[in-house]
Amino acid sequence: MGSQKRIAKELAELTESAPEGITVKLADESNLYIWDVYMEGPENSPYQNGTFHLTLTLPTEYPFKPPTVSFRTKIYHPNVTNDDKGSMCLGMLRADEWKPSSRIAAVLQFARQLLAEPMPDDAVEGRIAEQVKGDFARYEEVAREWTRKYASGRG
Amino acid sequence: MADAAGDRVMCHACGGVWPRSEHGLICPQCQSDFTEIVEIPPDPDEEPPLTSDRPDSASSPRSAGSPLNPWADHDPWAAQGDHDRNDGNQPRDSGVAGGGYQHRTYRSPDGRFTFSTTTYTHGFGGQSPSTQTTSNLDPLSMVQSMDNIFRGLTSTYQNRERSASVSSSGQASSQPRGQGQRLGSFEFNIESGNSATSSQDGGLHPRDADGPQPINNPLRTLSDILELFRADLSANAQAAGHGGARVVTGTNPLAMLSSLLSFDRLGDAVYSQEELDRVISQLIDQTANRGAPPPAPATAIRSLPKKKVDTEMLGHEGRAECSICMDAVEVGTEVTVLPCKHWFHYNCIELWLNQHNTCPHCRRGIDSPQTEGTNDNPVVIADSPEPVSRRTSSAAANPGRSSQPPPGAWPEQSPSSWSSRSFSSWSATSPGPSSEGPVQRQEQGRGQGQDQEHNQGHDPGESQDRNHGQDQRRDSRGEGSSTGSGFTGWVRNRLGGGGSSS
Repeated sequence: MGSQKRIAKELAELTESAPEGITVKLADESNLYIWDVYMEGPENSPYQNGTFHLTLTLPTEYPFKPPTVSFRTKIYHPNVTNDDKGSMCLGMLRADEWKPSSRIAAVLQFARQLLAEPMPDDAVEGRIAEQVKGDFARYEEVAREWTRKYASGRG
Repeated sequence: MADAAGDRVMCHACGGVWPRSEHGLICPQCQSDFTEIVEIPPDPDEEPPLTSDRPDSASSPRSAGSPLNPWADHDPWAAQGDHDRNDGNQPRDSGVAGGGYQHRTYRSPDGRFTFSTTTYTHGFGGQSPSTQTTSNLDPLSMVQSMDNIFRGLTSTYQNRERSASVSSSGQASSQPRGQGQRLGSFEFNIESGNSATSSQDGGLHPRDADGPQPINNPLRTLSDILELFRADLSANAQAAGHGGARVVTGTNPLAMLSSLLSFDRLGDAVYSQEELDRVISQLIDQTANRGAPPPAPATAIRSLPKKKVDTEMLGHEGRAECSICMDAVEVGTEVTVLPCKHWFHYNCIELWLNQHNTCPHCRRGIDSPQTEGTNDNPVVIADSPEPVSRRTSSAAANPGRSSQPPPGAWPEQSPSSWSSRSFSSWSATSPGPSSEGPVQRQEQGRGQGQDQEHNQGHDPGESQDRNHGQDQRRDSRGEGSSTGSGFTGWVRNRLGGGGSSS
């Protein structure tokens, strides 16, 4: 399929010149559609010094359908579901927002940007979002704690 | 981590709290790690002392942080006479340690909702052989009292039997029954002008003379209640028909009960806030998907112009790629060009347009009639009326008025005069400078030829007055003109015409 060609191309680009703080590889060399992504927590965020493992799943209709991003590493963040899925809510990945000219690199950079700047108004974890709005210091404290606990194991 | 030793951690999954020094951040009960370090240590003894002779008082039913069932202090066995209600607006508290009763009435600010409680207490009730007055913490008795709540709600007449011997003189010194029982009752009164709710007033009888409730037998067991729920829900499901969540509002006593009990979602009906939230987010998801642009028709895709890539299209860098497949495009490759001038491989854009009729880059619709649109006005909705054609057709419908401004547009009028005319046309019959208001009213509904005669009979100098005469006729004419009918047509006339005049 045409999608494989584009995916392979994007993968090659991302491997050669990865965006800052992001490393990608295929979870399984024989499957282009599932990527392992390792994302360093942005500086000056409570996720600093943490490395987060994400899974990027591409639909077979890619690039006509958006990829999905989920955190394997637990993260305390208003836009990431706090369950075993760790789904990330990215506006550009919604069905009505997605456009095929968006690239995976852009998606991942956007995801990392979201770590630096949570969007509590577009949250999936309402309680954390309230904390971000109401008691930011407390949110940072818990997020740092979780980063230490869950995201500091890998380098 | 040098955190304070007194830190406590709360689990958001199960609500448990534990000292952080003992179990760390993982919940020892449910293994969840959705936890939070809490600053204020809760009451250390989560289990209150199991004292059977604790002096009960409805005003301070339980200690803070206690996980007691909220009903634990509340025995709904009826012990209430009708005259309690008469003077029930003032809270009265006997205050006698170990005995007495308390009557409280809570009323919502708008007075539509009243919740009153009457609790009779007796200090030595713990020793009573009655099953209703055994320890508050006995789970069996809690289940029983739950059952009692149902009975109290659905068959208050039973309660009246039981309360026949209860003293209810309303004096603070009155003594309850001397049997060591703690008796209480509560009632919901929904005062409303709505007949549907008022029929459920008065203690939620199943047998209301005015109400259409079909239940003839008093409900005696929990299973009866559940059966009632099921019947209600299946009726709802049938009434709701296809799809769509049906939210039962609080006027239904079953809904109130069910929300008290956190019933799960059954069918299309939801009875709790959580379930309602879930339904809403589900609907939002559906809406989000529906918000995506619809597929483009195949004919529209095929009719898109194709052209060979030339050097100009490649831009200054001299190379370009199809942003769908990301393959480089050489000069001479045939590509499909969208109305917005973005171009792609035909095979690539066809796949996208089969799903959405917009440009993958700029989201401009591909069947947009205005291919020359600017960046400031990029998206034109396909079925929106075009102001230009409307104006011309209006003018064409009134050929005799060619020397005057056509009614569809108000040219040569400043926005300020437009707005003043709008206001004056609202009050055409009010006394004012325009003395022709009543005349225009009479001629409403007449044909256009008569309009024309009327206009000719006027002094040409009164162009302002004539203009709002036209406004009003146009408003009432509606279907006669090509500007659309009904209220939307009216709005379109107003807004569209106003926009074109400014």
